[in-house]
Amino acid sequence: MSDRNTTGESSTKSDGGTVIADNTLVARWEEIREREATVVGVTAICVAIFPWLFSRAPVISDVLLGYQSLATLILIWGIFAVGFDLLLGYTGLLSFGHAAFWGGAAYAAGIVANTVSADPIVMVVAGTAFAVLLAWVLGFLSLRRGGIYFSILTLAFAQMLYYMSAAPLAFLTGGENGLTGISVTPLFGVFHLESDLPSVAGTLIGNWMYLFVGVIAVLSVAAAYRILNSPYGMVFRAIRENEQRAEFVGLNVWRYKLMAFIISGAFAGIAGSLFTIHGSYVPLQSLYWTESGEIVIMTVLGGTASLFGPILGAGLYLYVENIVSGVQQLTIPFTDIVLINDFGTYWHLLLGLVFLVVIWVAPRGIWGAVSDLRALVRRLAGGDRR
Amino acid sequence: MSIVSELAVILLNGLQQGAIYVLLAVGLSIILGTLKFVNFAHGALYLVGTYAGLFIALDVTLSSGKLQEWGYGEFGLGWGFLAALILVPLFVFAVGLLMERFLARSFYDRPDTDQILVTFGLAIVVQELFRVLFGSNSLPFTQPEYILSVIPVSGPMQLPIVGSFPRWRLWVIAITAVLVGIVYLLVEHTDFGLVVRAGTRDAEMVRLLGIKISRPYLVVFGIGAALAGVAGVVGGPLNVVNPTVGMNILVPAFLTVVIGGVGTITGAVVGGLIIGLTQATLIGLPSVTIASFTLNFSPWSQVGLYAIAAIILLVRPQGIFGNEEVAP
Amino acid sequence: MSSDPDAPSDATSTPDASRSGETLLETRGLVKEFGGLVATDDVSIDVKRGERVSIIGPNGAGKSTLINLITRRLEPTRGDILFKGESIVQMEPHQVVQRGISKSFQTASIFPDLTVMENAQIAALAAEHGEFGFNFLTHRDKLTDVHELAEDTLEAVGLLDRAHNDAEDLPYGDKRRLEIGIALAAEPDLLLMDEPTAGMSPEETQATVDLIEEVKEEMGLTFVLVEHDMEIVFSISDRIVVLNRGGVIAEGTPEEIRGDPAVQEAYLGGVEL
Ligand SMILES: Nc1ncnc2c1ncn2[C@@H]1O[C@H](COP(=O)(O)OP(=O)(O)OP(=O)(O)O)[C@@H](O)[C@H]1O
Ligand SMILES: [Mg+2]
Repeated sequence: MSDRNTTGESSTKSDGGTVIADNTLVARWEEIREREATVVGVTAICVAIFPWLFSRAPVISDVLLGYQSLATLILIWGIFAVGFDLLLGYTGLLSFGHAAFWGGAAYAAGIVANTVSADPIVMVVAGTAFAVLLAWVLGFLSLRRGGIYFSILTLAFAQMLYYMSAAPLAFLTGGENGLTGISVTPLFGVFHLESDLPSVAGTLIGNWMYLFVGVIAVLSVAAAYRILNSPYGMVFRAIRENEQRAEFVGLNVWRYKLMAFIISGAFAGIAGSLFTIHGSYVPLQSLYWTESGEIVIMTVLGGTASLFGPILGAGLYLYVENIVSGVQQLTIPFTDIVLINDFGTYWHLLLGLVFLVVIWVAPRGIWGAVSDLRALVRRLAGGDRR
Repeated sequence: MSIVSELAVILLNGLQQGAIYVLLAVGLSIILGTLKFVNFAHGALYLVGTYAGLFIALDVTLSSGKLQEWGYGEFGLGWGFLAALILVPLFVFAVGLLMERFLARSFYDRPDTDQILVTFGLAIVVQELFRVLFGSNSLPFTQPEYILSVIPVSGPMQLPIVGSFPRWRLWVIAITAVLVGIVYLLVEHTDFGLVVRAGTRDAEMVRLLGIKISRPYLVVFGIGAALAGVAGVVGGPLNVVNPTVGMNILVPAFLTVVIGGVGTITGAVVGGLIIGLTQATLIGLPSVTIASFTLNFSPWSQVGLYAIAAIILLVRPQGIFGNEEVAP
Repeated sequence: MSSDPDAPSDATSTPDASRSGETLLETRGLVKEFGGLVATDDVSIDVKRGERVSIIGPNGAGKSTLINLITRRLEPTRGDILFKGESIVQMEPHQVVQRGISKSFQTASIFPDLTVMENAQIAALAAEHGEFGFNFLTHRDKLTDVHELAEDTLEAVGLLDRAHNDAEDLPYGDKRRLEIGIALAAEPDLLLMDEPTAGMSPEETQATVDLIEEVKEEMGLTFVLVEHDMEIVFSISDRIVVLNRGGVIAEGTPEEIRGDPAVQEAYLGGVEL
């Protein structure tokens, strides 16, 4: 799968530059691995078996304590994180206001469901379109100044939206109570999202909701992978590396940055709409800066400038938030020795500490560590091509 | 009440609200301007200041949190407010020094985004630590009645034109004015300030000229922190006291800096006043009824703050007093 | 100090009468003030197509500032800049590049975490597909024009065999070559070079001078060079502009400049020619 280095390498072969002479297994795998079809295919397989492994497989699921709905939620945040990393990891822009697109899309999808049509596809399209529009406006305003100003301004504008939905627009948004009364209609008018899939698919994937979210997630990953391998991917990284030089080779850096912002806003919008479909409810909280903070933490923990790191980060964060936090006593495995009592109180603090340490010593996150390990294995296996 | 006195009340309320932002923004701004360091943990310093002030000034009984569970639910020295006003800045100054030494310093040469991320992480850790220890519930920070047992600081005060106005709010304005005045003189009229001013313009140059910049940096960070601590003490009785206050006040404080222009104290003051007055005006304006439609302004008070910021930045991206050439 | 074989008349006749090429670049009364400091003081120069102009002057004379004004990195306080007869003073930097002015930076300004090939591809992309496009769903393997231009550029600067190294792993001299390559890949009409040999070892300097000579021969490029090394300046330029304290104090062929007492006084006083 892809990270900062391998995305670069994929162009290597197509340029007709180096020809890989050795036919070791590692080398052959490296070659196949880079193909778009492989990446998308492997993603689809992982997405398909994840709910079974997580919530139904013998032994594994007993240890993990996972459940179907959390698996869906992880995918939703995963989509959000993939888009966020296009901006943070690849373009080098740290937005602290992505709650605006996530929550904005969630509200838009919910309002459309309550007033026009509660068809899941209509909701996703409406929510995403709203997020794109909003990203265009907020990007236009926030990108007027670079660096830290961008972070501060995105944070500020997102907070503005939060306060708008809290009071002045409460007639639309439900104010403090959030948006309620959403009842999503069946997919294509036939398939109830909450009902289980037939036979094997039911065991493996679970319900229609997961299938719907899963298909969109795989499409999102495919789109992100294509974007990274398009001219945009290269330009984004160039902007991250040396914005001024990018401008001075004749690229309209401002418009590319705006596009990065809008594209990541679109991913956030898809995810936010799915969040409404999944929960049939939009909490006011979804526009609050803490949501922006969460996506930052997920992405950085998982590993910036990689395609799958952020998904991993999202999964880990939600897992800790929803399952580990419920563990009251943390004991050393297979013994009765208690490490921490009342663990649920501390999980946020511990996560904060882990985040701090990651930034400090391993800014490339978990996926970065995995990549380093893989590079080591590759060298030991003799598959080094350089 | 006449229109004039109503306006005067709005003005004073705006000054008071703005004063808290100014205290935070001055610190943020000189740290950002001189050290080129973005401190998302500045709100955490306010948080520390508020809780430390509470601890020094009053006796408190916790209703949640680990301290209470462990049997330390009664805490506080009860030394009174003046003691808090003197000791807290010193304490938070020290916290600021530690922060500079052990955290900021390792990040001066790293990208802005890393600075933001690490200070954001710190802000979360501090907030969660306070939540674990002192619980999520809001604590009562009662306004002091007397300072030194003789100077009354609470209750209403009769002012000409304005009429009756909370005495404590006037004190907040006065304390802020004095402190910011001192920092202004320090930066504009001392050798230490020269380094700060030069550093704001061109840190590389100052380094080349051979001035050892690491000590002034430390002091700049400490002063910025101390001001945030003061904001926590004087703002405590006016706002709720719970672990989220730090992050909540950070956003308007940053807006203040951005509106005023980075690195200028004048900018921070003007920015703070603009934000404070905007908020106070929208809260204070009576609702307007046109035909059957009633327009109530106070729900827009928070929104208005961001709208003003957006308009100012559209017209003047570097901020009102910001310098285009040197903006980072 | 050979004069250019393409323009044999340069060395002998007066500058204005001899040049028949159209005026490519012209500055008119250009002024740049930093606070009270006048870094560029009423500079009016012109560069003809095919000409090689060097700008010299002591440290702080305003050479880099002048280059930065032309590339639109700095906003002039007063004055106008014309390129191909069109005023560029209102344009964004990338628009100026798209019109044909490319710049090599004073330090090696590259994309460190990208491969050498990708560095060249970025520039080639801008040259072939303009300042912006909506091609975010196009796989970049399909952009054969970009790949070819990038490859040609790397070949020209002699870095093709290092195409797949990360740019940051290159030795300093190669980074500077890559930097010049990035500037060349934009296929400019006018190349501005700010001290292309600064910080290089003697061998690297020689290699860079050879590279510039080569480019000059092959592409017939017009360029403006800022350089401290007088030997390079006198061997490469058709014409030299001398700046001091922001203003032009002399202008002419290398021979004329060499003999100019004002230049001797202000700048070349201590330099052995
Ligand atoms: N951004 C800036 N802000 C303030 N002053 C500046 C700025 N850039 C340049 N200057 C000043 O303008 C003058 C001209 O500088 P410039 O860099 O153009 O000189 P130069 O001829 O390129 O010198 P060198 O040979 O050292 O490269 C100098 O006095 C310099 O200090
Ligand atoms: Mg220079």
